[in-house]
Amino acid sequence: MAQISLATGFLLILIGFYGALTQRNLMRMIVGFTIADSGVNLVIVAIGYMHGRTAPIIDSTLPAGEAPARIIDPVPQALVLTAIVIGVGVTALMLAYAYKLYQAKRTLDISTFTELKW
Amino acid sequence: MVSALLLIALPLAAAFLLGLISNRHIAYALTLAAMAAGAAVSGWWVWQLGWAGAVPVDILTAGTAPPFAINLRMGLAESVLALTITLTGLLAAIYLKDTLLAIGQRAMAVVMIAVMAYCGIVLTRDLFNLFVFFELAAIATAGLILLSDDALALGAGFKYLVVSQIISALLLVGIIFAYHGTGNLNIDGMAAVTMGRVGGSLAIAFFLIFIAIVAELKPFPANGWALDIYESAHPAFSALFSAAAGTATLYAADKLLAIGGPAFLPMTTGIGVLTFLAGNILALPQHNDRRLLGYSSIAQIGLVLAIVGQRDILGSAYWFVAFGILVSHAIAKAGLYFLSGMVVERGLTAWAALRARPPLIFAFATFIALLTGLPPFPSFYAKWELAHALAANGRLTLLAVILFGALVEAAYLFRWFGYAIKRAVPEQKLACAPAKGLPTLVVLIAGWALAWLWGRFSGQTNLLMGLPLLFALAFLVTDRLPAWVNNTLAIAGLVAWFALTWQAYDPLRMIFAVIMLLGGAVVLLASYHVHGKRPGFYPSAMLMYAGMAQLLLAGNSFDFFAAWEVLTVGSYFLILRGKDSEPHALSYIVFSLGGAFLILAGFALAANGAPVMPLGGLARVPAAVAPWVFVLLAIGFMTKTAAIGLHIWLPGAHAEAETDVSPMVSGILLKAGLYGLVVVLLTMGRQRLGGIDLTHVLLWIAALTALLGNLMAIFQEDSKRLLAYSSIGQMGYAQFGLAMMNHLGWLMALMFVINHYVYKSMLFLAVGGVAKRTGTREMYRMGGLITLMPLSFISVLIGIIAMSGVPPLSGFGGRWIFYNALLTSDYRLPMILVFFSGPIAFLYLFRLIHTIFLGQLKDEHRRVKEAPFWLMVPQMIYVVILIAVAVVPGMALRRVDEYMTRLLPANGLTWDGFRITSDYGYWDPMAIMIIVAVIFATLFLWLLFLNRKAQWVKQFNIAYSAERPFRPETTHFAWNFFAPYRKALGFLVQPLATAFWDTVTGSLHAGADFARKLYTGNGQTYALQFLGFVLAAYLLSLGV
Amino acid sequence: MVRRFAALLLILALGAVFLPLFLAYHPDTSLNPTALYYAERTAQDLGAANIVTAIVVTYRGLDTLGEVTVLFLSAAIVGLVLARDRLTPRPHTRVPAGELLTTGSRLLAPLIMLLGVYIFSNGHLTPGGGFQGGAVIASGVLLLLLADPERRFGHRIIGFIESLSGVAYVLIGLAGLYYAGGFLDNRILPTGQVGQLFSAGAIPLIYSLIGLKVGSEFSSILADLSETEEL
Repeated sequence: MAQISLATGFLLILIGFYGALTQRNLMRMIVGFTIADSGVNLVIVAIGYMHGRTAPIIDSTLPAGEAPARIIDPVPQALVLTAIVIGVGVTALMLAYAYKLYQAKRTLDISTFTELKW
Repeated sequence: MVSALLLIALPLAAAFLLGLISNRHIAYALTLAAMAAGAAVSGWWVWQLGWAGAVPVDILTAGTAPPFAINLRMGLAESVLALTITLTGLLAAIYLKDTLLAIGQRAMAVVMIAVMAYCGIVLTRDLFNLFVFFELAAIATAGLILLSDDALALGAGFKYLVVSQIISALLLVGIIFAYHGTGNLNIDGMAAVTMGRVGGSLAIAFFLIFIAIVAELKPFPANGWALDIYESAHPAFSALFSAAAGTATLYAADKLLAIGGPAFLPMTTGIGVLTFLAGNILALPQHNDRRLLGYSSIAQIGLVLAIVGQRDILGSAYWFVAFGILVSHAIAKAGLYFLSGMVVERGLTAWAALRARPPLIFAFATFIALLTGLPPFPSFYAKWELAHALAANGRLTLLAVILFGALVEAAYLFRWFGYAIKRAVPEQKLACAPAKGLPTLVVLIAGWALAWLWGRFSGQTNLLMGLPLLFALAFLVTDRLPAWVNNTLAIAGLVAWFALTWQAYDPLRMIFAVIMLLGGAVVLLASYHVHGKRPGFYPSAMLMYAGMAQLLLAGNSFDFFAAWEVLTVGSYFLILRGKDSEPHALSYIVFSLGGAFLILAGFALAANGAPVMPLGGLARVPAAVAPWVFVLLAIGFMTKTAAIGLHIWLPGAHAEAETDVSPMVSGILLKAGLYGLVVVLLTMGRQRLGGIDLTHVLLWIAALTALLGNLMAIFQEDSKRLLAYSSIGQMGYAQFGLAMMNHLGWLMALMFVINHYVYKSMLFLAVGGVAKRTGTREMYRMGGLITLMPLSFISVLIGIIAMSGVPPLSGFGGRWIFYNALLTSDYRLPMILVFFSGPIAFLYLFRLIHTIFLGQLKDEHRRVKEAPFWLMVPQMIYVVILIAVAVVPGMALRRVDEYMTRLLPANGLTWDGFRITSDYGYWDPMAIMIIVAVIFATLFLWLLFLNRKAQWVKQFNIAYSAERPFRPETTHFAWNFFAPYRKALGFLVQPLATAFWDTVTGSLHAGADFARKLYTGNGQTYALQFLGFVLAAYLLSLGV
Repeated sequence: MVRRFAALLLILALGAVFLPLFLAYHPDTSLNPTALYYAERTAQDLGAANIVTAIVVTYRGLDTLGEVTVLFLSAAIVGLVLARDRLTPRPHTRVPAGELLTTGSRLLAPLIMLLGVYIFSNGHLTPGGGFQGGAVIASGVLLLLLADPERRFGHRIIGFIESLSGVAYVLIGLAGLYYAGGFLDNRILPTGQVGQLFSAGAIPLIYSLIGLKVGSEFSSILADLSETEEL
């Protein structure tokens, strides 16, 4: 089960990067990176999975004493929370940049932003 | 106990608070207060850990111990880094005052959080926490890029975000797999599990983490995006980015290596050194000052990364070396970016505007010295330790590559400095403001303070405590006073120093001391001829003399090398003052620093593991290494004496220097190179390399130098160039005497040292005086000046008689000793070459006096006066000295001869009253003087008698055979004086050496031009290059 | 063409780097030491029922502080970048939205906000927390923005909430330093009984503040981005 999620995650990363590296439109690059970010988050969550175990929340069905034997690894879940939020932050930033670049040059083609080089 | 957590909490609280404050000025004040508080906390910790003996502290969070909660660590390294970061942040915030007040509270919050993020990277011990702080820093960077008004910054920011997305993806994948493999997110916890060795999939995970962090350091070739940032962002942000971000990331890389272990060190060194080399070479063709600084930043960070990769061999010196270069770089880059904010235009030549404020030029020079690793700055001590550690562990290729990169860096930095000093001041004035001046000043003071501190903590002498150097620096203060005041102080200082130290010199060193110190004082007398102020002259000159003074007193390799570099730098500044000397000064400093680096390599190799070596230790170098040490040191010293092949800098440098500078550099400075050869030959004696006797090679080089130098001199039209080439030839002569390795050869060389100083200084002063009065240096434009400038004529006459070796003056004695020496040695062919160089020397000496003083007076010169009084004074002193030494040579030589007998006992001289006897004959100077005087008097009287019947012919009684020459010089006898010789021997003086060195620099530039096309400006291409870099590193480290 | 080929090659090579990681992966059969510690000690030490929340807010609280700062920075920079182009309010020229949309959004928006508040205030008991709650709140704001593009939100009030909650968060963290075990220790307030609303010390308080902050920051980003549209 975890292997499928892991494989999907990696595939999404590769697809996302491929899109970001070959599409010239800024918006498509940002979408590519969003896909790659989702892939990374999927990989992180997939790592924490343990077969046959349940969510790490103590309630009536899971008393505190049984927790160590029945919960999956809670750490990747905590990490992925942070990773998702950071991804959102960077995406918002990239969108704002794309807007300003479009305003400045009336095009979204990344190959035209080459005034600085060499 | 101030908690280090405040470094994180305070800026954050302040940043959040800013949203509640509506008044921008209050907000700005709060920002500055928060950043100052951060700097104070870091400073407090540096004090506690460095001086008050506190121990490193782990700061826990959430009341839980690591690895179950995040912890921070505050040790000495962390505190120093935090101080660097917070101070840079504070200075940048001050510099950004106008921009921040214009944009508002949000920009101030971003600045504070950027600084906080860098501190967090340094302090944290948790891997995921490191990732969070990195992302914070990346976002803050993307925001701060926009602080500049430049529309180009938008593109740079987007390219940066593209690459940082890939970096963070790789980092996250690596972190999560590392967590899975070790069950831990704490760096120390992980290190405990892996125990310095990773294998299998854990190695891949660690590789991903490590390469992502390294990518933030902008390695070559994955750094196109960084250059765009440096070029387009606000200079204060570039300063922060270069100094603080690089610093924090380097420390993160260092922390991570604890997990991966020593297997990753080679990759680190490889990436670092490649970046250093490529960054510096690609900087060569740059014209935009900020982009140039960007390349330089990338290169320096690469160097520190390479040092991180060498931590296994550096041992306890690791922090000293790494921090030495890191803080030097941080200070220098911050300072240079701050300066670039004051210059309005972006071309390198626009920095000539700095001349409006001399303190800024001083700051510029300081920052360049910090980057190049010149004494007394921390990078110098660090470079010394690094070279020794590398040599001791046999990593000689690495050392060679690093020194080469450093030389390239010095080349473009000094070329830039030359532009600032010599190019036309642009129309746009400097954009100075107190908000810009204050940070620059603070950074400048910090640089010098750290120089003192590093000197204190090194195991060597603290260079900033040396009296000569301090004396030279004091002239920066007195620079505003009139020149004659400074001159008197300088002369007094030189004489006083000699009086203080004369007992410390053995007879051999005494000769050099007399020439450098007392001789320098005499030459300085000529400087009285300049009226008014001479800004920058006295600090430079005294720096050179300070270097020479300390060179003579140096007892170990470190002091020697430090003094060597000081005198090189001082003389560079001095030579740069000449009117047309910009390219020549650059050529001089590049050759000199190249030679200095070779000397460094030689000393490092000879030290055999120790950090320093007494000079006498050169005699005890292991036999396997000794020939190489000899070669390195000899070539290094020969760049200073301008041996053939390494001579192309000298004619321009000496000819274009100012009138009173030429005698200093030609008469005195060249002797430093000879002194170096003396030290090497005395201690190492004869060495064989591959079956060849190296002193024999030296002999050949010397012979060729003597012959070709003199030959090139005879074809010169410019009188000062003629004298400069003559110096090359004469140095070859002296080197020949040293290389003969017998008693008389050395005696001749040392006698020569004194003689050459006297008559070269004399000739340069005389020629300089003539050039001053006639307005030209070209000999075919002069003529007939004997009547108008009789004293100059006399001094030149005495000079050339002495120099050519004609009796009765001291040159003859030198010749006599020389021929004796030849007869006692085994070398025939080189001897013949040197023998020939004698008459050839006479040719150009004759040309000198004949074309300038004899012949017909030109119309435009009918009213010239004698040379200025103060130029004549030293010349007359020299005349007296020459005559005295001619009659009583024992004055100087006797002591030296006795000293030489101790070292090379065979074939000495016997001194008996006025008579000197050798194995082959005798020499009685008094008798010679009398005989020659009698002969001369007789001939002179007879000439006068005959002259009564001579017929006076008017000057213009010349027939042109009905043709009017439109290039009048072609009919002047002085032009192309030795044309027949040029036809016969001209093939020997083809500019082969110049062509060779031109090819070297030309191919470097061409290579750089080609390679820099890598940075196409397209952000996607940069992302592809980055990915390619990651995969290449992976493939290369698969063997790991 | 060359670019596509090169990109494909590099991506495949990257995949080849990932492949060993993928192949060597086996899910754990028992919790590793770190996870084990959290599983055993969360309930009794911190009093929180949701272990992930306990990790996010307390054990790795510094990460969360950083994450909140990331959002703050993003919002600030987006505001900086776009604020200079805030268009002057144009006269209402659009055809107003239909009855269904207007009433529907007015009905749903408060419910969505309530759900968000529920999520972040119960973060220590049920799945979810400050970030999730804040995102839900922002989605309510998004609904309002999409339903009525000409509506303008008060940036001042959003900024005020943002700053105040941020400062309060840091102050709570510092309070943990001085009154409990360390920075961001939640035991400055009594941990109470696991499973109750008022338990787990300062976690509900922190998560509420985070929820408000995240909600306001997301809303501010969305508002900035929408205001750039030329109507």
